[in-house]
Amino acid sequence: MSVGMHGIRTAGDLVLRMQISKKMRLNEAKEYVAKKLGTDVYTLSDEYAMKEIREELGIGTINAVPGQPKGLKAKAKIAELLDIKIPCVDLMR
Amino acid sequence: MSNEDVFEKLAECVVENDEDTGADLIGRAIADGVNPVEIIEKGLSAGMLEVGNRFEDGEIFLPQVMMAAALMTKLVAKVQEHIPAGEKAASNGKIVLGTVEGDVHDIGKNIVKVLLQANGYEVFDLGRDAPLTSFIEKAKEVDADVVASSALMTGTMAFQADIENMLKEAGIRDRVKTMVGGAPCTEHWREKIGADVYASNASDAVQKVREALTN
Amino acid sequence: MSKIHTRMGDGRRVEMTREEIKAEIEDGNNNAATKGKVPSLTDDELDHLVDIFTTPERFVSVNPEDLVVMSTDVAPDTIFMNYSEYGGVGVPTDTVTAQMIAERVCGSDCVQNAFRGGNLKGTSVSIMQVRQDIEALAMNTIAPIIYTTMPNMGAYFKPDGPFDNCGDLMAAGKIKEGQETYEAIVPSIVKDAMYISEMVTSIGADCINLDTAAAAGDAEFQAVLEATEKITKELGLPVLINMSNHFVMGMHGEVEYNGKRLAGMMPHDQAKVVEESGASVYGPVVNTNTKKSVAWNVAKAAAVMKECGKQSNLPIHPNLGMGVCGAPMAEIPPIDAVSRAAKALVEVGRVDGF
Repeated sequence: MSVGMHGIRTAGDLVLRMQISKKMRLNEAKEYVAKKLGTDVYTLSDEYAMKEIREELGIGTINAVPGQPKGLKAKAKIAELLDIKIPCVDLMR
Repeated sequence: MSNEDVFEKLAECVVENDEDTGADLIGRAIADGVNPVEIIEKGLSAGMLEVGNRFEDGEIFLPQVMMAAALMTKLVAKVQEHIPAGEKAASNGKIVLGTVEGDVHDIGKNIVKVLLQANGYEVFDLGRDAPLTSFIEKAKEVDADVVASSALMTGTMAFQADIENMLKEAGIRDRVKTMVGGAPCTEHWREKIGADVYASNASDAVQKVREALTN
Repeated sequence: MSKIHTRMGDGRRVEMTREEIKAEIEDGNNNAATKGKVPSLTDDELDHLVDIFTTPERFVSVNPEDLVVMSTDVAPDTIFMNYSEYGGVGVPTDTVTAQMIAERVCGSDCVQNAFRGGNLKGTSVSIMQVRQDIEALAMNTIAPIIYTTMPNMGAYFKPDGPFDNCGDLMAAGKIKEGQETYEAIVPSIVKDAMYISEMVTSIGADCINLDTAAAAGDAEFQAVLEATEKITKELGLPVLINMSNHFVMGMHGEVEYNGKRLAGMMPHDQAKVVEESGASVYGPVVNTNTKKSVAWNVAKAAAVMKECGKQSNLPIHPNLGMGVCGAPMAEIPPIDAVSRAAKALVEVGRVDGF
């Protein structure tokens, strides 16, 4: 709780995806995600900034905004954006 | 060679699993008039405790512990041949041991059993997932000195408190020492439920049982 | 000298002076060096740990750029589980809802579910229900889906399984038979792990977490490593390996992986074989000593994790929770203690997540 990025509130889910799928260490994963999102590492943990970024990119937000991509639709965008394979997205395709 | 040197070398024999040297040392020590009981307590048992400590530190492994325990049994038997019949103790104490019901984790319990046996205690193993009543029944049946229970989960740990109460209800709580162990157990837990001994690992269990039964 | 509130490894509150806390930290660090066989922390790192433990705030954190991710330990399931040993709070809900609450309310970095009890052996007969849950999660959640299961070699012993209890065999002096039985169980664990992995990957899970690895000792660890190799090579499914104990208990004593004996292996060496097996994330453990202070335990854990991170190219996610890595052995580990442990492991242990 005290040291976590907190998932889709920020970019925690994206950083964890890079660790799992590409075995990236923390800093490498953060730099990779920041680059793909067109931002910096500091911003990845900023809820205020990340809400806008996530909305703009259509990768899902923590608030249930009507019309915003959620679930599988958001993950399809994440796979494209981070250039990784997400198994359930591949299954859908 | 001083008696202390003999004890130290005998302890080394147990640790190194050196039966020939151990047997030779015992023969010579007995011939020199060294007290057989001290040979067991200060030499062989000290070696077995060291074996337990090394296992707890990951320096030696279960097969070596088992081999050391087997050697210990052989060497103790050899020493006991020289203890006058009237002075021989059948065992250092009788211990009823088990993993409480609802809990199937018995690895730690089995290691405790081996070390206790190697240190001269008679262990009545109830196995894993042992009904609570079996602790009380077996304690009564064998006139146990210690009732020891292991629990690896916070849910099953509560049964250790039940054993305390059941021993009281059976009227034998004052006749036995109780020992608790297992990952979630702590000294605070022991105090809370009124058990006599908390052991954090197998060699700790041996030392604590020894202390409990001599006090 | 003023006293500072801190805690023991069993969660009890104690008061210590700054000097006493410093001595605890130095002693924990020395224990890591002697028993854990890792280099000591530097003076600066030790001073930093003292600062972490002497600050009066209840809750401590790290700089925003240092925040880490959490692969958790089936934390969402605790929302509905009714078992205190799993930290359950017993809210009557279902798996999928609990996972979504964790993702959207608690901000969990992953969606992590498991079949109740989590054993590979139990799961293999209940996999259809697991697949149904994963399918729903794949459709509705955003964070990576981690399926968690435990090898639990003990479940393969009679009467639950077909094999004799290796511990009983060993205790009866049947060492060779005990060792042979351990070896005979390994392929069964690998087979079950493969089966579960196939089932969860074919429905959309992102990875599998083989949790509490080596709980039954070195042969179980060998099974986990062999299963990981097979899962990653044949299915391409990423694997997380989380340990159960600081060092690998030598219940067999002689099993090897890639020519390295597993018994007695410390975390920094475990990290290397985990990496060789093809795993993606490694979760080491340092057991909390309940007789020592949290400061002592955290200093030890931080030294161990720092060396793990140096020896491995993989992300290191230590297990931080009830009774491990400095968190007290208490059903509700106090946040003052856990947040200090977390901060120390991030800033001194340089971990990649939890």
